[in-house]
Amino acid sequence: MARIFGIDLGTTNSLIAAMENGAPRVIASRETGEALLPSVVAIAPDGTVTVGERAIEMEPHLTHERDGKISAVGYPGGEYGAVIRSVKRYMGLGGDELAPEDRARYTFADLSGPVVRFQIGKRVFTPSQISAEILRALKDSAERALADGEKVERVVITVPAYFNDGQRQATKDAGRLAGLEVVRLVNEPTAASLAYGLNKLATGNVAVYDFGGGTFDISILSIKEGIFEVLATNGDTHLGGDDIDRAIVEWLLNGLPETVKLDRHVWNSVRMAAEDAKKRLSDFAETEIVIELPRHTIRKHLTRDSLEQMAEPLIARTLKRCELALADAKLKAGDIEAIVMVGGSTRMPLVRRQLATMFHREPLCSINPDQVVALGAAVQASVLMGNQGDMLLLDVVPLSLGIETMGGVMERLIHRNTTIPTSVTEGFTTAVDNQTHVDIHVLQGERELAKDCRSLARFKLGPIQAQPAGVPRIEVTFLIDANGILNVNARDERTGREHSVDVKPSYGLTDEEIERMLEEAIDLGEQDLEERLLISSRNDAEQILGALGKQLGEYGALVDADERARMDEVAERLEAARRGTDRELIAKLVEGLNEITTPFAERIMDAAIKLALEKKSVAELS
Amino acid sequence: MVECLSCGRRQEPRLICADCGTPLSAALDSFAALGFPRKLSIDLAALERSYHELSRKIHPDRFASREVAIRDASLRATALLTRSYRTLRDPTLRGLYWLELIGEKLAENNKRVPTELAELVFEVQEQLAGMQDAPGDSDAARELASDVVKRRGELQATMDETVAELERNFIQWDQRSPGIAENDRAKLTTELKAILSKIAYLRTLIRDVDRALENSKAA
Repeated sequence: MARIFGIDLGTTNSLIAAMENGAPRVIASRETGEALLPSVVAIAPDGTVTVGERAIEMEPHLTHERDGKISAVGYPGGEYGAVIRSVKRYMGLGGDELAPEDRARYTFADLSGPVVRFQIGKRVFTPSQISAEILRALKDSAERALADGEKVERVVITVPAYFNDGQRQATKDAGRLAGLEVVRLVNEPTAASLAYGLNKLATGNVAVYDFGGGTFDISILSIKEGIFEVLATNGDTHLGGDDIDRAIVEWLLNGLPETVKLDRHVWNSVRMAAEDAKKRLSDFAETEIVIELPRHTIRKHLTRDSLEQMAEPLIARTLKRCELALADAKLKAGDIEAIVMVGGSTRMPLVRRQLATMFHREPLCSINPDQVVALGAAVQASVLMGNQGDMLLLDVVPLSLGIETMGGVMERLIHRNTTIPTSVTEGFTTAVDNQTHVDIHVLQGERELAKDCRSLARFKLGPIQAQPAGVPRIEVTFLIDANGILNVNARDERTGREHSVDVKPSYGLTDEEIERMLEEAIDLGEQDLEERLLISSRNDAEQILGALGKQLGEYGALVDADERARMDEVAERLEAARRGTDRELIAKLVEGLNEITTPFAERIMDAAIKLALEKKSVAELS
Repeated sequence: MVECLSCGRRQEPRLICADCGTPLSAALDSFAALGFPRKLSIDLAALERSYHELSRKIHPDRFASREVAIRDASLRATALLTRSYRTLRDPTLRGLYWLELIGEKLAENNKRVPTELAELVFEVQEQLAGMQDAPGDSDAARELASDVVKRRGELQATMDETVAELERNFIQWDQRSPGIAENDRAKLTTELKAILSKIAYLRTLIRDVDRALENSKAA
């Protein structure tokens, strides 16, 4: 059976992982050796998409020319092309839900619709489409790194535990748009517990504190004989390391004119400097920040103490969420036997200190906090393939689900922290004679009034046979699946007939819109594919030429003149071909060069083994 | 009767096909879903074991690569199982479910304060109103708040006693069922309803107290 892969689609970085010989491993890029793909997507005015480290270079920022002049480079947005970072913050958001500071960062198309849309060049992109580019980049990168032409087709994608229905749906849509089958959405903290749980946590209560770039989650789990049961979860989908960066940016820009503050080139340069400073202060007590702007120079000294003062209110908010989750789990801090740390923001010493104080024990951070979610996703993928024996994850729905009743009150049907999948059946009837439809408004949230909860969907039951008020009986089943996504169906209680339910999501994309985007993607896809194959063969060429150069430098003595001449000839032809666009020629030459150099590679291997046996270094030999 | 979507065997409604172990999408009461007899007193550890064991067998994670119909049956069977477990695990929900099973229900719009709680409710409301009116940062306010904290403890104790009363009512049902005499049934039902409304009322009261304390802390 084809392998299922685990993907952590993060606010700041994304990763892909899979099980290998019983252990989860991240799949690093073959070209760069990096496992983390920055979740940054650059879209040029002509629509060309770049993802990752190279997209960061295209972010609007200020640069120093050699003559000392400072100039603005990168795509600043709108018709000039844009670079989107932290797209996860926008997943599932409606136009009216955008914060004012977000509106200043990017150029958006019409904000009256149910989905936020970025305006880039002449095209508009939904957050799901941008996320799909990240997923596609991960898929391509993994496929280049995998042996035997293995394909990435079926995946588990992680989401913040506190993601609502719309945010989850948007993530699933992104997977579909990237041509992936999303077998399951898994909550990030739960995934992390699986990564630790494989051998480090046998049984007991565990708290997973997941403080990432853009989101915060806390989950409390009970682990018993391979069953990972989430007892409670809480969080904030708009609280993360980004917010600490923003606080530093505010401080750095303090006193400068508004026009300078709002300039996207300036803002982004300052943001990068702020992020660097924050990271440095995890290891050092103080740091110097210098940013040269066209008419100003920002030069400030930041100590860890003052950074902690800025971060403290944000961390206090996370601790409050921890208390709420503990109360929902009906546990006390002392009942927690292990605290698992997830997300780059947990590297801050302040976070670790405060958690140690709250739980009276040192948090666990033996697995890289940037990788642990992807590793856990790979474990869950393995569970889904039936390879993990008795291991089973029982997760919960993070927010209550209900319907609007008379007077605009939210009636809860499924309470938060209910184990999923779960369902509830509710009876509906008509209020006036001969009513043919019943309108139902589905909500998600913890507030008493419908207007304070998030609208999930509206639907109409019917047509109902004309009857006196109160006579028709329609049973509606609200079912939340293992992904935490709502499904609705309705049945006439007397006739037993299924009613079709046309659920109109309040936010997000309709099925028709997804279909249209998929069609567009297929049109562009064939062109993309040819281009991707070319890039991939160029990468192969670069790699083999680079490796050969290095080997000839170190072990040149192992090649005779005749052999050397043959190698040089093919290498030169490949060098020329890789600058062109003839993909098949490049591939043929790579293969040819590979063949000629195989005996040489074998000799190097022999020499290396001999060296290892004699425990001598190259230096000693020469 | 339900038919297994995998092997086709027709059988009595149950969660798992007796022949091939495939989940079945069947309508079952919560006791039957967990394989427990219809008794109100429940060994919670045994209940959890049964829940975990059944989850391992029917959870959608076990059928991720099967055809849509079987994935759907697994989804529905697991939804029923988790819902049933949640109902039976909590004594109050279990009591309410019992009423539903015997065709009774707590009167909706049950706004009348149970008589034995009337005095307590009055006192608590006085206290909360006093705390709201007192200036935020004064000795008087702090004293009132500490009284309310004490009251919170008393309310919890009353709640615990009431839940114990509920458990005693459960034992009575179990001793007399099945074949309970009509007058016993009427008596136990009335008692069960009274206990459950008392619990519902106490719960609201505790929630109000917690909110007031939370607000005074925030102020």
